[in-house]
Amino acid sequence: MKAHRLLAVVLRQLYATRRSLDRLTDIFYWPAIDLAIWGLTSSYFQKLSGGQDHIVVTILTGLVLWIILYMASNSIAITILADLWDRNLMNVLVSPLSWTEWMAGNILLSLIKVILSFIFTLLLTLLLYKISLFSTMGLLIPHIALLIMTSWWIAFIIIGSILRFGTRIQTLAWALVAVISPFSAIYYPLSSLPKFAQYISYVIPSSYIFESAREVIAAGHYDTFKLGMCLGLNIIYLILSLIYLKTSIDTARTKGLASLY
Amino acid sequence: MPQSVLSVRNLSKTFGTFQAVKDVSFDLEQGKIVGFLGPNGAGKTTTIQMLLGLLIPTSGSISYFGKDLYTFRQEIMEKVNFSSTYISMPWRLTVKECLTYTSLLYDMKNRRNRVGEVIEIFRLTELQKKEVSQLSEGQRTRLMLAKGFINNPEVLLLDEPTASMDPETAQYIRDFIQEYRKTHNISILFTSHNMPEVEDICHDVIFINGGEVIAHDTPDNLARRLDISHVSLTVKDGLKRVAAICDDDKLPHIINGRYITVDLKEKAIPDFLKKLLEKGIEYTEISIDKPNLEDFFLAVTGKNSVKVETNI
Repeated sequence: MKAHRLLAVVLRQLYATRRSLDRLTDIFYWPAIDLAIWGLTSSYFQKLSGGQDHIVVTILTGLVLWIILYMASNSIAITILADLWDRNLMNVLVSPLSWTEWMAGNILLSLIKVILSFIFTLLLTLLLYKISLFSTMGLLIPHIALLIMTSWWIAFIIIGSILRFGTRIQTLAWALVAVISPFSAIYYPLSSLPKFAQYISYVIPSSYIFESAREVIAAGHYDTFKLGMCLGLNIIYLILSLIYLKTSIDTARTKGLASLY
Repeated sequence: MPQSVLSVRNLSKTFGTFQAVKDVSFDLEQGKIVGFLGPNGAGKTTTIQMLLGLLIPTSGSISYFGKDLYTFRQEIMEKVNFSSTYISMPWRLTVKECLTYTSLLYDMKNRRNRVGEVIEIFRLTELQKKEVSQLSEGQRTRLMLAKGFINNPEVLLLDEPTASMDPETAQYIRDFIQEYRKTHNISILFTSHNMPEVEDICHDVIFINGGEVIAHDTPDNLARRLDISHVSLTVKDGLKRVAAICDDDKLPHIINGRYITVDLKEKAIPDFLKKLLEKGIEYTEISIDKPNLEDFFLAVTGKNSVKVETNI
């Protein structure tokens, strides 16, 4: 893996992000809107419930963690779509860049975007609600790391599917991560899900993260079983998603690039 | 003996039941410009995609500099590049940003200088701060060429490099390509539908049709395979009678105002002119054109009635 090629991948997307309202909207606008809606809603429920302090913090922590997962997976998946939309994919694929370097570069880029969005959201929370989530997020570093790991296998499934079925299923870049959100129990405990949904959430790594994060906020308790389950599932899904991505690359190279459009 | 930098052996590609490329073999020698021609759907794009490692062949082998493409892809691609009119660079990036990030993809020294050089060579200085989305088709084609040359490639695949350019710029690019080949001993595989351009710059031509190489020779030799000449006459009187003679002798001809162009074998020209004389037909101008690459192209694609030998 060559550093200059990773830098090329990151630089290409950063140049584009700087001038793309779409990309800037993803990083700053949507998190701000979500923060406004969920912050106001949770403040209202906090008043209704007689001023239980942790409601706003719990909801906003869930939101920030969700933004991390969404942003990380979406920005990796979007990069391949951006090159397809710009008719630039062929330039990328005929360069010495390997698939591993390309994916690593995209992961690096997604981390940059996540950091930008993360810091912006925390600052906005402080500004709008006078709540500092910095120390809370400090406690949740293992959770954040596991969420980023979750975002990788989601992104690899999306990219693999685009390589297999073309841009006609590009909506997956937004939809796949969204489909796991109800089962992740971002804002509510797992026990509030219907029984069948609880069974589904058991195999979704992010459900353990959000559940565990609430426990950390409420009681300062780290549930190592939940974090371990999340890590184990992430490792399994990461391996499976990499196999899927590899076979999808082979399929695309057998069918030709024209099949992607 | 010239060294082969690209060697293609028995290359075939099948999509389902459709065989797009059949048993294609050829060599690209160092310092040569080889035209890769064929009608639409002939298998050119499929072959080029395989040559770039984008598409896996059903069978056959591709090697650059004596190394197998699929085993040594990264090493090979450092020394190979591709430029096509039909692809683009990221639309939100400026010309300079496109070339800067592309220069990083290749393990090059003096990247900044090289970006400046290709910007100047391809007349992009005034456009370097413009976004790709703001460029005209011709300007984008120049950017693609700048991208193709940025790594000082030893082998370059050019897909219609001058399409959408004005004639003056197209000539400038052709001159640049020829000069660059001389000074850098680069090898180029060149596709174009502009036959005079191919005749102008290509040493050899590989002609592909129906997925098969049907001819591989110099442009002149290919044209000579046609035993046909174009006789153009400005007829003073008797244009209809000339047409009637052509019809009787089953000679393909085109009438345009007072001009008639007749396709016939070189040996038959004296008899044809004698026949006109006997019929009292007067013509004020005559020109006899030898067959060219375009005639060969039309002949092998069945777009004219001329028969041609297509064995390689």
